[in-house]
Amino acid sequence: MGVVWMKRTILAVAVILGLIWAMADGPATAQSPRRGGTLRVGLNADPPNMDPHQSIAAVDRQVFQNLYDKLVDVNQDLEIIPMLATSWTITNAGKTYTFKLRPNIVFHDGTPFNAEAVKYNFERMLDRALASPRRSEIALVDRVTVVDPLTVQIDLEGAFSPFLSVLSDRAGMMVSPAAARRLGRDFAREPVGTGPYKFVEKRPQERIVLERFDRHWDRNAGFLERIIYRPFTDGQARLANLRAGELDIIDQVEPTDVPELKKDARVKLLEREGLGWQGMWINVTAPPFNNRALRQALNASIDRRTLVRVVFGETATPGNGPFPPGLLGSDAGPNGRIPERNLELARAKLREGGQPSGFAFTLKIVPGRVAQQQAQVIQSMAGEAGIRVNIEILEFGALLSQLTTQRFEASLLGWSGRPDPDGNIYGFFVTGGGLNNSAYSNPRVDAMLGAGRILTTAELRRRAYADILNVLNEDLPYIFLYWPKEYKTMSPKLAGFVHISDGMMRFRNVWLNP
Amino acid sequence: MTRYIARRLLLTIPVLFLVSLIVFALINLIPGDPALLFVGGEAGKEAVEALRKQMGLDRPMAVRYLFWLGRVVRGDLGKSVRDGRPVLDVLLLKLPVTVELAVVALTVAWTIAIPAGVLAAWKRQTAVDYTATTVALAGISIPNFWLGIMLIYLFAVNLRWLPPSGYIEPWIDPARNLKLMIMPATVLGTALAALVMRLLRSSMLEVLGTEFIRTAQAKGLSDRIVIVKHALKNAMIPVATVMGLQLGGLLGGAVITETIFAVPGVGRLAIESILTRDYPMVQGVVLFSATAIVFVNFTVDVLYSALDPRIRLVEEKA
Repeated sequence: MGVVWMKRTILAVAVILGLIWAMADGPATAQSPRRGGTLRVGLNADPPNMDPHQSIAAVDRQVFQNLYDKLVDVNQDLEIIPMLATSWTITNAGKTYTFKLRPNIVFHDGTPFNAEAVKYNFERMLDRALASPRRSEIALVDRVTVVDPLTVQIDLEGAFSPFLSVLSDRAGMMVSPAAARRLGRDFAREPVGTGPYKFVEKRPQERIVLERFDRHWDRNAGFLERIIYRPFTDGQARLANLRAGELDIIDQVEPTDVPELKKDARVKLLEREGLGWQGMWINVTAPPFNNRALRQALNASIDRRTLVRVVFGETATPGNGPFPPGLLGSDAGPNGRIPERNLELARAKLREGGQPSGFAFTLKIVPGRVAQQQAQVIQSMAGEAGIRVNIEILEFGALLSQLTTQRFEASLLGWSGRPDPDGNIYGFFVTGGGLNNSAYSNPRVDAMLGAGRILTTAELRRRAYADILNVLNEDLPYIFLYWPKEYKTMSPKLAGFVHISDGMMRFRNVWLNP
Repeated sequence: MTRYIARRLLLTIPVLFLVSLIVFALINLIPGDPALLFVGGEAGKEAVEALRKQMGLDRPMAVRYLFWLGRVVRGDLGKSVRDGRPVLDVLLLKLPVTVELAVVALTVAWTIAIPAGVLAAWKRQTAVDYTATTVALAGISIPNFWLGIMLIYLFAVNLRWLPPSGYIEPWIDPARNLKLMIMPATVLGTALAALVMRLLRSSMLEVLGTEFIRTAQAKGLSDRIVIVKHALKNAMIPVATVMGLQLGGLLGGAVITETIFAVPGVGRLAIESILTRDYPMVQGVVLFSATAIVFVNFTVDVLYSALDPRIRLVEEKA
């Protein structure tokens, strides 16, 4: 009797343990990464330049996320997290940053990553001969000192609160000093970083191939064998390729495709608030818009909510400033307060501006359905107040030239956005700013913009931006209209993808299910 | 004959020179600053100016052209402004793709067009003729970009018979290479076929009305021999010119088709270089396209004499 009881107990325990083991293993297996496979990515353009110190196109950054490591990165909440730097201290009233670097890291060509390498990278970005677009981003860097092989100290000319955010993008991407010294500008054709994937080949307008780097420091990264990026400038073709199973993920979709994709079980659509803003540049240095009342008249005639509903449906949020939801400053002053359309005010402003029967101006736009629709809506809204809008379509290169030399009256152009609010406002409205197409100059705003990048507490910065936006909302060098949402469309087989508002596709921790 | 060929070859040089000069002037006159497009507004006006100097854009246009010409004569087409790649290397990469697409598209086009044209002329004003002519009209009228997307949705997304787009070298995967060529070649081929078919039809009708054809028929030769051996050869002369132009044109790239089907050919290269104001690349592409067209036309001219002995190159006799 005792033996039988013991056998039954053992059997029962075994069965229970077996069940627990099976249940514990089941869901875990479905979630654990699979190694291998080739990820096929569709991009909206062919990335021109693989050197982060020379690159300006946003689409280059997509490839960089996996080819390079940065000193720091951002997470889904846009907080700064460690990457090549494991920790940092900020001292000397915000002017000195001391970074502790991760040990045992090598570049794809075997060169060790250390403080010397970091110093070299900064010197390269600051070198006038290279004319790097990063130079203006890190212009405040005064001196980079190697404290020890794994500690580097960066001294700035003045406090700069967006500094870490800047280092989470191209300015913080580390290139191999050996390769960069050897190749100079040609480094763009043979890029060498420390990322989980190394460069294999780039065929213009055809494909960019990356392959897993087996000596990468992060054991929890690099599950894929290979990543292939392919450019598809035509949005319909890009989406068709995803649907046909030829691509696993694409970087952009047309707003009109979104409602249908949300219901399509064959693809996975992720949606988030974006970081960018869109609206109209206004040239304040020449007629008609050198007259502030007329700018205010135009602003009052626009119904942002209707504009967004008609052109974008649910794929954008009406906005009145440069800080989309989720970004510090989104509740600063008038940023989130969408003004109601007010034709009475518009007409009053017209009278104040000496044009009681209205005036005419030319709105320059890039080709494309979205820009045209927006322009037409604005044209019809402004028309009701007596403001006649002529729409002119220009190729992008030509438009950019005209904007930077103030040979325009108004133009629809926005900004892709950055995780730190300074990146969304400073260069656009400071006197002489490289992105200040309006040629707007207001010393009070300059001072407050300067304050915004020196102050370190979120609350104080928010207040500075609120003050700035109150002024900008009156002066209107730019009429903010909406904040586009950020979408990523992918095959359901892609697992582990974390969607971040900057729109960058980070593949280090993803894998492909069969 | 050889003197004719030699002279024609020599004449190509001034033509190419003129084309390159005109395009150089045009691309430089388009508004848009290559340095600004390269470096972006964020870098600041100083960096843009520095880059302009580095790109040599501060020198007068004539000087820049002469420098470019000097290098071309030595076989150096310069470097792409975007990433420093030698222009010649990029062109050589694209060349096989463009040639393959052109050859497949024209094969599709002419294989349909020539029999269709002959049939339409032979059976003129019957149902065969009307059908062929209507289909031809549709082929010319349907825009490439619409047809392309429709084919992708039908054959790639819904039926999954064909891959939607891209390119793989034929020596890596010949089967997939051909499958990828089918849709773009069809899209390009329809418009080309239509034109050749209509031209051949009217040319055939003209020839079929001549006396020597009546003689051949009176001699009791079968319809087939009359049409193919006698009429077609003569009818092909004006059509050959057009076919030559079509080949030359396709060698310059087919921008819309290449964009929709993600074929990395010379067409997409051309449009991208223009949009980014990559002057050396644009010049290289134009030079290449112009050379292709000039040589194809030259070849067609020489082949004329094979088609029609009457067109013995006049120079010889004089």
